[in-house]
Amino acid sequence: MESRILKPALGLYVALFVLFLYGPFVVLTIISFQQGPEGGPQFPIIEWSTYWYRHIFGLTPPSRIAPLPFGEALLRSMALALMTMVVSTVLGVMSAQAFRRKFKGSSFVFYLIVLGMMVPGVLTGLGTSLLANNVIGIERHWYTTAFATHVAYTFPFAFLVMLAILNRFDSSVEEAAWSLGVDPWTTFRKVTFPLIFPGVLSAMLFAFTLSLDEFPRTLFASGRDQTLPLAIYGTFSVEIHPNIFAFGVLTTLFSFALLSVYGILMAMSVRRAKKMAMQEDIV
Amino acid sequence: MAYDLQLSHIGKVYENGTPAVIDFNLDVDKGEFIAFLGPSGCGKTTTLRMIAGFESITSGDLMIRGKRVNDLQPEKRPTSMIFQNYALFPHMTVRQNVMFGLEVKGLAVAEANRKVDRILDKLGLSEVADVRPTRLSGGQRQRIALARSLVVEPDILLLDEPLGALDANLRKSIQNELKLLQRDLGITFVFVTHAQSEALALSDRIVVMNAGRVEQISPPRELYTRPQSIFVARFIGANTLISGTVRGTQDGHVAVETAFGTLMSEPAGVTPAAGAAATIVLPAEAMHVLPATMPAAEVRAQHGINTVPCKITRLQLVGHILQIGMVLPNGEAISLEGHADKYRDTLTTGSDAVVAWNPTDATLIVS
Repeated sequence: MESRILKPALGLYVALFVLFLYGPFVVLTIISFQQGPEGGPQFPIIEWSTYWYRHIFGLTPPSRIAPLPFGEALLRSMALALMTMVVSTVLGVMSAQAFRRKFKGSSFVFYLIVLGMMVPGVLTGLGTSLLANNVIGIERHWYTTAFATHVAYTFPFAFLVMLAILNRFDSSVEEAAWSLGVDPWTTFRKVTFPLIFPGVLSAMLFAFTLSLDEFPRTLFASGRDQTLPLAIYGTFSVEIHPNIFAFGVLTTLFSFALLSVYGILMAMSVRRAKKMAMQEDIV
Repeated sequence: MAYDLQLSHIGKVYENGTPAVIDFNLDVDKGEFIAFLGPSGCGKTTTLRMIAGFESITSGDLMIRGKRVNDLQPEKRPTSMIFQNYALFPHMTVRQNVMFGLEVKGLAVAEANRKVDRILDKLGLSEVADVRPTRLSGGQRQRIALARSLVVEPDILLLDEPLGALDANLRKSIQNELKLLQRDLGITFVFVTHAQSEALALSDRIVVMNAGRVEQISPPRELYTRPQSIFVARFIGANTLISGTVRGTQDGHVAVETAFGTLMSEPAGVTPAAGAAATIVLPAEAMHVLPATMPAAEVRAQHGINTVPCKITRLQLVGHILQIGMVLPNGEAISLEGHADKYRDTLTTGSDAVVAWNPTDATLIVS
């Protein structure tokens, strides 16, 4: 009875959800194949072409439309995201490891860490830039001040992921290793880390993607050299051409590639984890 | 210092102030098989984990081979632990699991391999050496855990309910293997269990614990026949407890006045003073059930001078075993099992009967 109404309603909901999730990307993709250089970012498609893709890589004859100034910004963003990923994940794993035992003031420290993702980004960025300029008196760079804000922002995510993973971690395997005469550091490297690796991957993914498209914090904290999101935003203020959409499609494809790598690594780890779970079930 | 393991006045208090273990004293000889037995939450596992170094010790001294190890990290203690859930490394093969403890010892590869091969062979694991343990049965996994712990040649092997996760048949066979292995290796085993049959079958001595305290440390048989506390009397075996008051000695026995009249008993140690409250612990094995029609003098002469009337409520023959259910005059229901031949045709359900026993077969606990 119920399902006669509920099922179609849920179906509609999912359809709308998918539409809103992927609609923008579909539109973006279609327009990126607009004819160039005359075609603008609107319908109808005058003629299908790969002009704007070639334009990004400078493979088109010179025209009045300047190539996208993204080369350096892209490299910068990648470098920044990688740095952020490494530092945040290391911090996240270490601090979550610390939280496995109750210590004095642990709940205070917990909120202190999580605060990093709660504070409005624009304020953090502004605050950081004021701190750098007026208090410490250092120049702002993407690899100094912006990097710091990125870590402060992504570290809590990595921390929470690792906290959840370690929460379910059966520490008797570690104790077993110690009791075999294996020191804690080797135990961590050879037993704990391989077993929590799926979680570490997730933490890395979080930190990397959050950093890669971080805007509000970077806006104030990055100084002269722009990161990719800032550079893209910068082009909007002049005139929008379909090349930006083509670029969007390419970055999305890159993200998918990244996700696939993550997915494959994850599937490998999960298969292992499943076996472990089976072992516990039988117990 | 001939002792392998010594616990003197060991105490553990949790951070929130709850005492977990109180004044634990035990000296263990090399090669002894010791069982910690008690209900869950009695502190037996906590004590084991203190020996392993996983739990801090609040007070007292823990000595291994004469050396105080209270503050020694677990990896530096000559102990190795077997866990109830095996705690195998799921990302390693059986061989890698067993090899792991040797790798960090910096042993020559050839020698390490030889040791691993030998132990795998001994425990019948050679065939599965290159398989991940997750694909193996519970019994095999338990053997891997044993191999992994034994290959590092610990002085003391600690076992935390190692058979708890296995089914009944497997438990029996691994139990036997464990006993043989321990005899063969001659190393000290400390075994935690809540199953008395395991403790009784395996150990040289049993430490019965309750609410953080040691109730009794005895060889299995003595624990069974001579319980020293009411808790042990209730926890081990099938005992009937009869409380009363000591009235003095008579013909070398202690006379205890009970609800069933004056009963004779054997003092455990010092003869209690008259007027002391005491409990007679009567094992099911000590009781003889006789028809009420048998003359009292004959009963006393042949089956024991203590007699208590009862009523038969249930008789059930299971193979050659007769299960007898009875009620005592105070309404307490007791049951025992006896050989069918002994009771052939003498008892009928609903009839009056007499329970008789010899004073030496029961134990008197002064409370």
